[in-house]
Parts: sequence; C-alpha cells; structure tokens
Amino acid sequence: MISLDKVHKKFGKRVAVHELTLHVPRGEIFGLLGHNGAGKSTAIGMMLGQVWPTRGEVKLCGYDVAAHRMRALRRVGAIFEAPAFYDYLSGRRNLEILSHYSASTSAERIRQVVEWVGLKGRETSDVKTYSHGMRARLAIAQALLPEPELVILDEPGSGLDPEGIAEMRETIVRLHRELGLTILLSSHLLGEVEQLCSRIAVLNQGRKVFEGLVADVKATRGRVLLKTPEFTKAAALLRERGMITDAVDGSVIVLTEGRTIADAARILVGANISVDGIWPQEQTLEDFYLRLVKAAPGAKSHN
Amino acid sequence: MFFAQLRNELWKLFGKKRTYIGFGAFILAQTAMLLMFKFSRWKIDFEKLLAGNGYMATEYISALTVALLMLWPQILLLMPLYVALVGGDLVAKEAEDGTLRMILSRPISRVRLLLVKWIAGMIFAAVLVVALGVIALGFARLCFPWKGMFIFAQAPLTFALFPANQGLSLYAFSHLFMIVNAITLLSVAFMFSCFNMKPAAATILALSFLFANMVVEHLPFFERYQNWFITHHLESWFLVFQEPQPWAQILQSEIILLAVSATAVIIGAMGFQLRDIKS
Repeated sequence: MISLDKVHKKFGKRVAVHELTLHVPRGEIFGLLGHNGAGKSTAIGMMLGQVWPTRGEVKLCGYDVAAHRMRALRRVGAIFEAPAFYDYLSGRRNLEILSHYSASTSAERIRQVVEWVGLKGRETSDVKTYSHGMRARLAIAQALLPEPELVILDEPGSGLDPEGIAEMRETIVRLHRELGLTILLSSHLLGEVEQLCSRIAVLNQGRKVFEGLVADVKATRGRVLLKTPEFTKAAALLRERGMITDAVDGSVIVLTEGRTIADAARILVGANISVDGIWPQEQTLEDFYLRLVKAAPGAKSHN
Repeated sequence: MFFAQLRNELWKLFGKKRTYIGFGAFILAQTAMLLMFKFSRWKIDFEKLLAGNGYMATEYISALTVALLMLWPQILLLMPLYVALVGGDLVAKEAEDGTLRMILSRPISRVRLLLVKWIAGMIFAAVLVVALGVIALGFARLCFPWKGMFIFAQAPLTFALFPANQGLSLYAFSHLFMIVNAITLLSVAFMFSCFNMKPAAATILALSFLFANMVVEHLPFFERYQNWFITHHLESWFLVFQEPQPWAQILQSEIILLAVSATAVIIGAMGFQLRDIKS
C-alpha cells in the first residue's frame, strides 16, 4: 500500500531522511516511531507529495507519487497533528470545501461521515466553537470523505486529553475493523502504538533503525518472571537441573533453550518450593524503543 | 469541479472578517473626505479654479466631481494596501494556519489550486474596486447635486468638463482599468505569498515593490524610463477622462499591467511547485 525505496531528503545540508526503505502491506496498522526531528513528518510529507524527495521512489496504492500524485492520492485520507480548519466556517462547510479537492462528494456522503464520527447535530456550528476532541473527529471525517483505502495519521493524539486519546484509539480500531482500512500511524505515544499496531518502523535521526512485528518486539526469548519467596533456592535448583542459564533481579530466570515454563514449574513444585506465579516476561515497546535509540549510532538522549 | 473549487475559495475569502477591512476603511475615508470637502476651503478653492477658467462653479461642483476627487487618493493608497493584504494572505495564510497541508494531502495539483485562488483573488479585487466607486458616488450624491463632471489633475495633466451622462459613463468605464490595477497589485502580493513566508511579509514586499516603483519613477534621472515602472501604467485609468482619450497609450498600459500580473503568477506558481510544504 505504501512503498518507499531508498528515499533520501536533504534540507540544505541537513539530512532529514536517509535512504529510507519502507513497505506497509494492505490491511495493516503500521506504526512509525521516532523522536522529534527523526524524520517521521518529512517521510509522511513525501508520501503525500508535499515534500519532494532528493532521491528515491515513493509509491502509494501502486502509483509513483512524484509522477502520478493525483492517482496516488485518490483513495488516501490524512490527518495531521493539531488539525487545522477554517474556524470561521461550520464543520459541514469545511467538509464541503475539503471534499471538492478530491472528487465530487455527495451531500449524503458528507452526512454519512458526520454520523460515523459522531458529530451529528454539531456540523452546522462554526469550528471555532469545537473542542479539541470535536476537531479531531472532524479531522477524521475529512479523511474519510474520499472513501479511502489508506489513512495516514501524523501524531493524531497530539494535544488531546486522556479521554480524547482513548477516543482516538477507539476510532482507529473502528477504522481498521469496520472499514478495513490500511493505517499508517506516526506517534510519540508508545503505549498507543503498542496497543494498535501490528508492525512498526523506528526512525532515529533520519535513519530507519528497526522494522518488524510488534509481537516480536514484545517477546523476550526465554526470560521468565518467577514469583516466589524462595527465589535464590529456586534459581539454584533450576540451574542444578540445567533448566536455566541465568537468574537476575531476584525475579527473572532465563530458560535454557528447549526448556519450557511448565518443566520449570514442575521441578519447583516437586521440590516443595512455593510458587506464587510464573509467566513469560514481555518487554514493553517503550523498553525496546529506548534501548534501540540509545544503541543507535550517534544516539542522544531525548527527554 | 473547477467551479466548485472556485466557490470554495470565495467562501473562504468572503467568510473571513479581515477581507472586509478594506470596505470598512473606504467608508470611513470617504465619509471623512466628504466632510472635509463640504466644510473646508477645499470646495472654495475648487470653485475659484472653475470660475477662473470661465465656468459656472455651481454647474460642476457635483456628485460625480466629488466622487472622482474622493476616488483618486483611495485608488492610489488605500486600494493597493487592501488588495496586497488579501493577495498576501491567499496562500501564505493557509500555509501558516496549516490548512494548506490538509488541502495538499488531496489529489489536487498545486497549479490548479493556485489558479482557483488567483481567480478568487481577482474577483475580490473587482468587487473591492466596484464597491469603492459605488460607495464614493453614493456618498457624494447624498451631499451634492447630480450635475456635470469637472476633472482637474496635474499628473497626468487633465482639465476636462463633461455633461452628467457622459461623466457617469466615463466614471463607470474608468473602473475597468482600476480593476486591472487592483488585479496587478494583488498578483504581485500573491506571487510573494506563494513562497515560504508569512502573510504579512508577502503584503509588505508587494507594497515595497509598489512604493519603490513610485519613488524611482519620480527621480529626475528616470523620467525617460517611465514606461518601465508599474506605477506609471497604474495611472492609465485616469487617461479616460482626457479629451481626446489616448487609447493607444491606455491599451499599452493595460497590456503591460496584465503581463506583469501573468508574470507574477507564473513566478509564484514555479516557486510554489518547487517548495516543500511542511508544518
């Protein structure tokens, strides 16, 4: 659905995006992560034909954006950080204006999207009277107008309160589940990305430092959390039986390859060691992300 | 689709309060000028000028004469200011507000977008000039009778008298050329607006271009190069009141002004096409 092939972008002497290759398959919710200035918005700008790549090829829905921008964007919706509207006009008039830049859009279609995003009854009010949450819903409505196959969301949770973020998350799930859309989500909110995305790419100072499945990121091979009042004794027993290779932090054991949690639990119970809990340890996306950007060449701290 | 997009631009343009600043300023300026004309020495001096040339002042101190008197400084100073303000806003304000990114995430070409914006701007310029003329004449008619028209100006040197009907026709006709003036200034501001700058900067640059032309044109050394200055051609609207009318000169000026407008828009479009649109 989205394909970037060795895309490079320089602003003057500064390299904003370095040889970025990225593929977003149809039907996925794909997360694009990175610190401020990592190149996410520039990459999205290049996808939408707003920023011209210095070199490389960007394709959307099978069309080269540089050569066939209008075809490439025909079934694409986009939402940007702090969505901007004509505040002095009504929500409905904003939708009418934006719809005519894509294709002729019927009044019925506008009514449908207004209803879908839950703005019915407020669409005739001026946008300046809208809350942040309502503006976010209007932004989703305008993205849905061209009946898109792909929606690109650039920091959609920015400026929203916790309720607004939860609502946005729910909407993204609905976009994917009810409308079957492919979604590219650029966000700082790692928790949101972890909950929503099936695949991610991480940018650091313009370079892609990771691309893969969220499930793979979260899985930590062989690391098991063991909750027991006799951790030292349990670890020594498991090590003696060749079940583990390491025990750390008074709560984590590392299983020997080929051994299972059930094997370890059986041994501990057999030795009358009280086991309150034993389960595979998952690392959070945040742990993974922070470790990744710190390990990246030229890494710096980002607060 | 083109007309729907043009209608959208007009909705956006005429939905903004700042679009109406020019109209409000004209009303205020004309009220002030009307009061000054009626109650100051201005009227007396004008009567003396007519009487000194053997004409009955009472026949020519009329609504048409006063309307044109009020129009002159406004076309010279206020109109450029307000069309430059709107022209400078057309693209740069959308870029500043972030709505340009929303528009350009849709399958519309940049050139097409600029074209509908420019046409909307030209419609605004025409409406502003026509409103200016109608308001000036309407206000003048409130205080002065409907009689012959008298025109006197130093540059371009003009001294003419017309019966009311002919005066009205010329007054209306001159607005066509004032519209071309307004479109030219709007196009220059629009050109700057297409580059990466704030709306105010685009407006200031357009006005600077205008005033630089005005100043340099009047330097003694540049007298023989008058045709090279846009301000020289912006005065051509007044030539319709000369007898006989210098049509060739008027036509030449209008063609030059339209060429300046087209050039400005083409330069703006090239700059806009090449530029990166970022938040």
